[in-house]
Amino acid sequence: MRRKNENCRIFTLMLLLLSIFVLASCSSGSNLQGEGKVLVVDMIVKRDWGDYWNTIKMGAEVAAKEYNVKLNFIAPENEMDFKGQIALMEQSIERRPDVIILSASNYEALGQVTDRTSYYNIPVISMDSEVASAKVKTYVGTNNYEAGQKAAERLVQLTNEQGDIGIINYVLGARNADQREEGFLDYIARFPEIKVVDIKYCGSDEWVAYTQTKEMLSNYPRLDGIVALNAESSIGAGRAVKEMGFGGKIKMITFDNPPEMLELLQEQTVQAMVVQNPFNNGYLAVRAAVEAANGEKLEDKIPTDTKLIDLDNMLWPENQKLLFPFVK
Amino acid sequence: MKWWRAISGFIKRFHVRKIQVLISVSSITITLLVVILVSALLFDRFSKAAEENTYLTISQIIQQVTSNLELYVTGMEDIFEVVEAKVSQVSDIRNDQELGDQLETILNTRADLVSIALFTKDGKLVNNTPSLPMRKNTKLTEQVWFESAEQNPGALQFTPPHIQNLFKSDYRWVVSMSKTITYRDNSLIKQGVLVIDINFRTIDEFSQRVSLGKKGYVYIIDAVGNIVYHPQQQLIYAGLKYENLEPVLNYTYGSYQDDMDGEQRIITIQQVKPAGWKIVGVAYADEFLTTKQELGDFLYRFLLVALAIILIINLYISAKISQPIARLEKSVKMVEKGDFGTNVYVKGAYEVEQLSKRFNLMLRRIRELMDQIIQEQEAKRKSELNVLQSQINPHFLYNTLNSVTRMAEMGRNEEVVTTITSLSRFFRISLSKGNNIISIGDELEHIRHYLIIQTIRFKNKFRYEIKADEEVLQHLTLKLILQPLVENAIHHGIEKSAEPGYIEISASIVDDHVEFQISDNGIGMNEKTLKGLLSGDTRSERGSGVGISNVQERISLYYGPSYGLHYESEPEEGTIVTIVIPIERAEQSGEAE
Repeated sequence: MRRKNENCRIFTLMLLLLSIFVLASCSSGSNLQGEGKVLVVDMIVKRDWGDYWNTIKMGAEVAAKEYNVKLNFIAPENEMDFKGQIALMEQSIERRPDVIILSASNYEALGQVTDRTSYYNIPVISMDSEVASAKVKTYVGTNNYEAGQKAAERLVQLTNEQGDIGIINYVLGARNADQREEGFLDYIARFPEIKVVDIKYCGSDEWVAYTQTKEMLSNYPRLDGIVALNAESSIGAGRAVKEMGFGGKIKMITFDNPPEMLELLQEQTVQAMVVQNPFNNGYLAVRAAVEAANGEKLEDKIPTDTKLIDLDNMLWPENQKLLFPFVK
Repeated sequence: MKWWRAISGFIKRFHVRKIQVLISVSSITITLLVVILVSALLFDRFSKAAEENTYLTISQIIQQVTSNLELYVTGMEDIFEVVEAKVSQVSDIRNDQELGDQLETILNTRADLVSIALFTKDGKLVNNTPSLPMRKNTKLTEQVWFESAEQNPGALQFTPPHIQNLFKSDYRWVVSMSKTITYRDNSLIKQGVLVIDINFRTIDEFSQRVSLGKKGYVYIIDAVGNIVYHPQQQLIYAGLKYENLEPVLNYTYGSYQDDMDGEQRIITIQQVKPAGWKIVGVAYADEFLTTKQELGDFLYRFLLVALAIILIINLYISAKISQPIARLEKSVKMVEKGDFGTNVYVKGAYEVEQLSKRFNLMLRRIRELMDQIIQEQEAKRKSELNVLQSQINPHFLYNTLNSVTRMAEMGRNEEVVTTITSLSRFFRISLSKGNNIISIGDELEHIRHYLIIQTIRFKNKFRYEIKADEEVLQHLTLKLILQPLVENAIHHGIEKSAEPGYIEISASIVDDHVEFQISDNGIGMNEKTLKGLLSGDTRSERGSGVGISNVQERISLYYGPSYGLHYESEPEEGTIVTIVIPIERAEQSGEAE
């Protein structure tokens, strides 16, 4: 019996050592795999055309390459189509990606579907536009309130702290639009001689913005300043101001950097433009997604700076790249 | 700490000096050392080769890009020269339709030429192809191409890519080639700046296409460190990325490794000569030096597998060697405990088998000896019992007392006294305080009293004589060895004989032995009876039952089988019994009273 016990002991020792080696080699193998593992990130945005979204995509792709991420860039056909976006979210949840990056078309409507991701332990990063969900790990995007304030600050300088101002906003109730407007109005409120005479919402439609601006200019012919709070509003308003011969007479601050607006900037129809950094939004969103997938603790908000571009600084090398992200 | 105690207990129980452990530990250590040494050498050798190979590959890739770009830039330089020659030749630059057509043709030959333009020294447009209207607020005299052309007259300048904002067309990323040249405006020789804008897309695509692993990339900087191309340009401007340009500017050619955010990167630099640009390849070491890692990984696994195999083989072999020994040890232990019945048969190594065989032989011998001892002990006990019985032989006592009674009746008082005295002496010596060993003197005394009694009983039918050397008397002997023989001589020899009997008993030292001799002149024995005697088959009906076989047995038990009785007999002649015992001196004189 004792002999048998001894054999057993030797055998167990052998097994023990073997299992240690096997475990060691397994764990080392899995380490290597961990390095080579590709994270799958679904990036669901508002639309997949236009310089703005393409620049986000470019930034996201640069980060995807850097962090070994498989990026799925998905968007509904229409920027307003939040139902389509909800459907995309549901499809994405079915696929169980490692992380979802969402740029919500509608702050409230996307909230519920975003909450559902937590059932499946899929972290969600909100990018560019926030969403009404507490499950979101972080928000990567423009500090819209500050952007509004920047626009106001410059307009106040240009109008010498007095005059009537019109605002062409895009969607009433859209969170980014509201925040920009709020930032703008909060800053303006410090100057009693500046008055906001009209606020219009063009619904992100150039044509509507154009007609609204024309209407505003005919209603208030002595308008001193106009601010347009997104790309479409800016294009419509810019065209209207130029056509009606108000170029240079009315101080104009616009948002974003469509090429036609840069022409207007060089011609001095537009005095300054607030430019977001969509490349950084896309890049930082993917980076945050990688960090979230690795279980790192993220800041509540990762703001990206806006820049106020005017004739003086538009050709600075760093601004050139911001204004013209694509080599065509 | 509970588990620690368990482990240390385990180790303690695992005897270090066991053969199995010794073999295992030593051979595993040696093999392990060898394997590790070989692995380390291999790893070193292979990884060095792999590293050199990697550097070579990367520098070849960069070389390819560089020569492509050089070719491209040289082509553009040639175009610039052609354009410059044409512009210089024309006598009136503002009104030359032919020049316009020629420049248009040149522009159309290369899709990536954006515009050709000539400006005066103060930044006024002289001529441009295609002839598009100028934009407002171009600030062209402040732009790099204008300034550097002015600062380096006569030398062709390349700018980093920038947005062309001069003419009313799309905003394009261009690289400008510029040079201060002389031209004739209305036959006046003037100086101006000629600028040709090249669409940056071609260079951008070149650079993007370069693949240096998954994460690696190529960037281009100009001579002073401005970024010409960088895939992460926006990140650098936003301060999210940082490219350490200092060493890059110091090198014009070569490779080095740097450490960026804890990641090893291989930086390879080459120069595009015409433009003065540097092409910098950034490869990530963990991607390119995978061979090293793979090799390391492979060797690591190999080491583990080898170790496992060595361990198993080792344990097997050492068990094979040590287990038979352990089994042998176990058998010996059982023998040690007193179980002589175990039979050891251990298969295994030759030495162990031999050992077990010898051990078995030894065991068998021990068993035999043990059996022998047991038998001897039993025989001794039996014969002693017999002797005890003979000491109080009632038959002899009855006969003697009977004779004494008759003698008393007949008034032979003297004989009565002699007989009783002898009887008492006889018994006293017989008992002799229970000692087995008595002096030869006593033994002879004993037999003398016996003979006295017997001669009186048998009415002097025989005579006797006891002879002994003086020195022999003090030696020791087993007691009562003579009496049964004398009894035999009387009963079987003399009593049956018609002639007057004679018994002679002698004790002497012969050849280092004590030799007793009892000779009678009785009827003697034939050979058959003689043989039967010693084996104890022949028994007398009237004797004490303590026959000569008892005497023989006792002698050989006490003194060994070489001692004992010897008979010589001839029918009708008599019998001579010789007893040979070793000399045994009394330790104390006067022991025999």
